[in-house]
Amino acid sequence: MKAALRTEGLSKDYGQGRGLFDLDLEVAAGEVFGYLGPNGAGKTTTIRLLMDMIRPTRGRAEVFGVDCQARSVEVKRLVGYLPGELPQFGGLRGREVVSYVAGLRGGVDSRRIKTLAERLDLDLGRRFREYSRGNKQKLGLVLALMHDPRLLILDEPTSGLDPLNQQEFHRMVDEARDRGATVFLSSHVLSEVEQICQRVAIIREGHLVQIAKLDELHHIRYHHVEVDFAGNVPLDAVRAAAGVEQVSVQGQRLTCAVRGSFRPLLAALERAEVLNMVSHEPTLEEIFLAYYRDEPAEVLSEAAEAS
Amino acid sequence: MLRIALRAHRTGFLVTALLSSVTMFVEAAGFAAAAGQTPAQRAVFGQEMEALAPQVAYLIPLPIHPETLGGYVQWRGFGFVYIITSFWALMAATGAIRNEEERGLIEQWMASTVGRLRLVAARCAAFTVAAAGVVFLTALGAFAGAAAASGSLDMGGVLEVSLALLGVTVASFGVGLLAAQLIATRRGASALGGVVLLALFFLDSLSRVKSSLESWSRISPFHLYNRTTAVAPGGRFDLKATVALFVAAAILAVLSTYAFSVRDVGASLFRRRHRSAAAVRTPSGNPLLRLPVLSALYEQRWILVSWAIGTMLLAAFILSLARSTADLLRSNPTFQAYLQAGFGSDPNLVLLALFWFGFAAFIVAAYAISQVARWAADDAEGRLEMTIAQPVSRSRVVLERSLTLLAASTVIAGLGSLVVAAGAPAQDIHPDSGRLLLATVLLVPVALAFGGLGATIIARWPRLAVPVLSLVAVAGYLIQQVGPLFKWPSWALDLSVFTLYGTPLTTGVFWTGLWAMVAVTVLGFGIGLVAMRYRDVAS
Repeated sequence: MKAALRTEGLSKDYGQGRGLFDLDLEVAAGEVFGYLGPNGAGKTTTIRLLMDMIRPTRGRAEVFGVDCQARSVEVKRLVGYLPGELPQFGGLRGREVVSYVAGLRGGVDSRRIKTLAERLDLDLGRRFREYSRGNKQKLGLVLALMHDPRLLILDEPTSGLDPLNQQEFHRMVDEARDRGATVFLSSHVLSEVEQICQRVAIIREGHLVQIAKLDELHHIRYHHVEVDFAGNVPLDAVRAAAGVEQVSVQGQRLTCAVRGSFRPLLAALERAEVLNMVSHEPTLEEIFLAYYRDEPAEVLSEAAEAS
Repeated sequence: MLRIALRAHRTGFLVTALLSSVTMFVEAAGFAAAAGQTPAQRAVFGQEMEALAPQVAYLIPLPIHPETLGGYVQWRGFGFVYIITSFWALMAATGAIRNEEERGLIEQWMASTVGRLRLVAARCAAFTVAAAGVVFLTALGAFAGAAAASGSLDMGGVLEVSLALLGVTVASFGVGLLAAQLIATRRGASALGGVVLLALFFLDSLSRVKSSLESWSRISPFHLYNRTTAVAPGGRFDLKATVALFVAAAILAVLSTYAFSVRDVGASLFRRRHRSAAAVRTPSGNPLLRLPVLSALYEQRWILVSWAIGTMLLAAFILSLARSTADLLRSNPTFQAYLQAGFGSDPNLVLLALFWFGFAAFIVAAYAISQVARWAADDAEGRLEMTIAQPVSRSRVVLERSLTLLAASTVIAGLGSLVVAAGAPAQDIHPDSGRLLLATVLLVPVALAFGGLGATIIARWPRLAVPVLSLVAVAGYLIQQVGPLFKWPSWALDLSVFTLYGTPLTTGVFWTGLWAMVAVTVLGFGIGLVAMRYRDVAS
């Protein structure tokens, strides 16, 4: 089966270390793929390269086997795109914007547009300049989804949406996936990615740090541990244990983070009187922050490749 | 805040200072060329001007001693330059409030503890400083021009008129500032302010021929300004009128500040209640939106209508001056230079060919420049990104832009010529209809050539495109209009881009110029197309 989206050594070098470097990525057809990274990491650069808005310094990208640069018009027939920042349509009404963009596509089923507008509770009769930020984002979603594309490329799609509309959007993504569409969405809202994506790529400073299924990320990373003691806290022993970090003590309670096996921590606690011990599975946010703590992106990238 | 406000007026200051000081310089320096060298020649010139002036008094103030350098500079220089500074004041005022509101800057300033009063006060103070700078440079232009004409102007008189010029400029700013409180968009506020200022302008000018309007004209800042004529020998400085201008500016500023303090940011002072209509969920049924070129024309329909109406009004205006100006051309040896420059032998047709079609070429060029600005804005504001995110090739974008420009400039040129064709017989001018059509059709390559140049420039330097093209257009127009008067050599006249258009109404097609314009169009859009295919968008 052809990949829905594939990049090989895709790079955009803006100089001074800014841009995107050697991105190798493959997203399977029918997959919902999250693309995570902090501001300025290179998420939007990647998306603009895929959409042929900007040209790569080297490398290539393809969508359903079609080259994104050489045959970009063909690619765009297959894609629904939501940019990170909605364009300014000034005095045009929402319905005129939709009609105009639909015209560029050679026509779109107006029943589909009506359904989307109803589900997102978007009034297309108002002028674009009167729309709130959230309504502009809804209009962007209508434009991206109205032609039932095979691939959705969405740059921070829930930005500005209220929780109810975020939930509605999540349902739309689920339905798109059920229909066989592929979704590639960038975000820095990790809980959202946790909720709707099957796989995640993490990018930092233009370098791909990790690609993993969500459950892989959960298991390969660390746990938060809280331990309550009846007597003395074996602080030195815990600090000396391999894989134990961020140790702190408040009264009789010790908290720490454990990377990898729990065995060294349990060994350190062997002689202490433990009243209670709780381990939290890390959220994606915590994994994310752990990635970005100290190490340069290139090091993380190499470490990820080695593992 | 004052520094930020001053910075906001930087571009307007530079452009207005350049235009007004160059205008003053050209008028003063051109006095000898227009009026002649000897006292006798100048006396004849003065008599002719005084005879001519009442016929156009409904537009231009009556001259005082136009046979003298001071009188001529007062009439032709200071009698015109206030239109430039007032227009700038209007745009600066609406920009200072509405443009910054639209861009979210006002919200930003107010969130950073800047009060509304301080905000408006800073804007007013900054504009007054900038306007004083413009007026100073305008006066310098007059002195420099006078020196170039080996004459001199009365320093005190220039100072007094400069003070009145500053007064009318800040009063116009006040009108714009108040208009910006009443309409929620910059374009709307500029239109409202423009209509008000235009009405006040005509109130003043028409009061010169209709005595019943005389008492009403006192509310017009332009009337108050025109009461000071101190540069002309025997002219006067109307202190009361000048003070009234500053008082009016202050009152308008206070009213604007009050309106700004009670209204919502982003809204107009009088907010229309939204009718509780049912939400619309369906796309527009307008077929124009779905068709290439027509969708672009529909999107800018109101702008296009404004250009068309403006062009038609200007055509009617120039036509209304035709007979008296043609008489002047016939009788004045200086203006015979236009006839000798090879534009034709019939003064009536030369007038149309040179003044109307020369101006029409400038208008379509200006329209093309506005389109180039729009193309640059499409990129900056994300519309281009949204367009090419659809299955639309980049080449189609460039092609569609050129076709839109072609269609719109045809409409503008055509409507202007329609007015000329309809009104010319009433002025005893009978142009050949075939030649009239030819002259109209040949305006389109002028617009396309400017569009082609713009397409090339925005590919690499989008922010430079409009200033560069504006400079080319204004310089070209001035060279064409004043060059023959100063008996400039033909190579200097050929520097005007409008030379390429020629005078098809009187002398037929200037083939070299036409081919040059076609070449610029093809090459310009070609480079623009290649650049569009390879350049980054929205980067």
